[in-house]
Amino acid sequence: MNEIFDFKRFWTYFKYDLKQAWRNHSKAAIMIGGASAIFYVIWVLASLVFTQHWSSPVIYARLAVFILAFAILELYMVRAYGYLTEKKAGSAWLMVPASKAEKFVSMILMVCIVIPLLFFVVYMVLDGFLSLVDPTYGQALISGGINVYSELIEGISTLGAESPIVFTPSSFIFPTIISLFCNFLYFHLCGICFKKNKLVGAIAILFGLSLVLSLLTGIFVPRIFTNIDFNNMDEMQLAHWVTGCMNAGVIISCLLTVGLGWGVWRRIKTIQH
Amino acid sequence: MIEINNLGFSYGPKPVLKNISMKVSEGNIYGLLGENGVGKTTLLTLLCGLKKPQEGTILVDGRNPFDRQPSLLADQFYLPDEVTPVHAKAIDFAKEHGVFWPNFDLDKFYTILGELDVVATQRMDAMSAGQLKKTWIAFALACNVKYYYLDEPTNGLDIPSKAQFRKAVTRYTAEDSTLIISTHQVRDLENIIDPIIILDNQAVLVNASMQEISEKLYFDYGTEIQPGALYLEQTPGGCIQVYPNTTGEESKVNVEAFFNTVHAHKDLLKPMFNQVNE
Repeated sequence: MNEIFDFKRFWTYFKYDLKQAWRNHSKAAIMIGGASAIFYVIWVLASLVFTQHWSSPVIYARLAVFILAFAILELYMVRAYGYLTEKKAGSAWLMVPASKAEKFVSMILMVCIVIPLLFFVVYMVLDGFLSLVDPTYGQALISGGINVYSELIEGISTLGAESPIVFTPSSFIFPTIISLFCNFLYFHLCGICFKKNKLVGAIAILFGLSLVLSLLTGIFVPRIFTNIDFNNMDEMQLAHWVTGCMNAGVIISCLLTVGLGWGVWRRIKTIQH
Repeated sequence: MIEINNLGFSYGPKPVLKNISMKVSEGNIYGLLGENGVGKTTLLTLLCGLKKPQEGTILVDGRNPFDRQPSLLADQFYLPDEVTPVHAKAIDFAKEHGVFWPNFDLDKFYTILGELDVVATQRMDAMSAGQLKKTWIAFALACNVKYYYLDEPTNGLDIPSKAQFRKAVTRYTAEDSTLIISTHQVRDLENIIDPIIILDNQAVLVNASMQEISEKLYFDYGTEIQPGALYLEQTPGGCIQVYPNTTGEESKVNVEAFFNTVHAHKDLLKPMFNQVNE
């Protein structure tokens, strides 16, 4: 028997994990995913009360609600496998005959892909349904939102009249995905490490880190910027500089994601009850 | 075969198990007894791999349980004192969870569950503590594993269920299966447990079979009080007395009286039973 990773056993475990996820998280995903419908009802009611007109939320407001709901989903990841720290449920999970690697891979897939996808599908289906039944609602977010996103990116990419195009909407896809993974993994790791006050603990660490980073940024960033003469930079140099900064950000996000993944692995390996 | 060598474990500065060594042979139902806080649950969780030994080693068929290798996990089942309520019907839980144990028998699960008077279509998160425990017991026995670690399995069970549990354990476990049952309810299990392990003060006080116990001690259920009894307990119909077996006469071991005798005369009985083990 392969004690490290067996694909057949992994598939069995993954299906089991999927069913558990559906049982444990479908309600929450539907509630968070239902933010579009809740927001729509509130907006329409407010509009009727204050203006006596039927009015649907504008696309920018809907986009903002979507981003807010996604942020809530990130926070929710502390609960995704939070039961691992509970004695009863955590013991039962540890005793399931699958390898640590199989449990780890399944967990990462759940946290980074399956649960967010479930939320996304619920959100977009509800939003699409509202777009279908209410003509004043406008485009569904999945098409309208992409247009708004593209406009924003175009705004950034045309910094100067003859700016060399260094960013396209697709340039932001990978950085966005990797930073989402990073956020999901961070809250998930806090969820499987803290026994109590998981969310408070996760936010407190973020708060502490941001304080430290602000201090470091305050010390080092002015020194870096004093050596760069932005006034004498041509468009190409500026574009390369911005691209370099963005690449550095992506590399940092990748390293953080790997580090957080390693943290999750260590936790699975060493957890005791 | 389970081999424990110089096992030590502590919670912070307080040692719970210290320098424990013993062998657990196959095909027996071990009763793990001891007062509160002596480390019975800790020992079981170490054996199944939920905890890592801080000193010494544990080998289950040559494998370290804390490695949590799938092959070993599929060979064992740990039933904690308090079981988790799953958000599913008992039958769905068994179907989904049972696939990981290669010898899991769904029909056996149905049968045991029926004998324990639990409805398979009932949701586990809506069950009473006793029903939930019975569902997990049925699941554990249906897994057909080699090693069972059962922590207080009769806690929370009603009187008929305790009898059903005894029947199920003897009827539905394979002859070469090894069960280690930790319990305070010795009367619930005294007819099925053999040998007995008594933990005390971070160590194994006794690890002896019923045969060895009855060879060393005599259990007198008469009405006449004998001088020199190591232990005496008045009962409504007479009394139970325990004294050293000097005549070699056989008697039925009363586990509770034995436990109390051992506790009252540790210095006398520990060497007596360790001699046998050595």
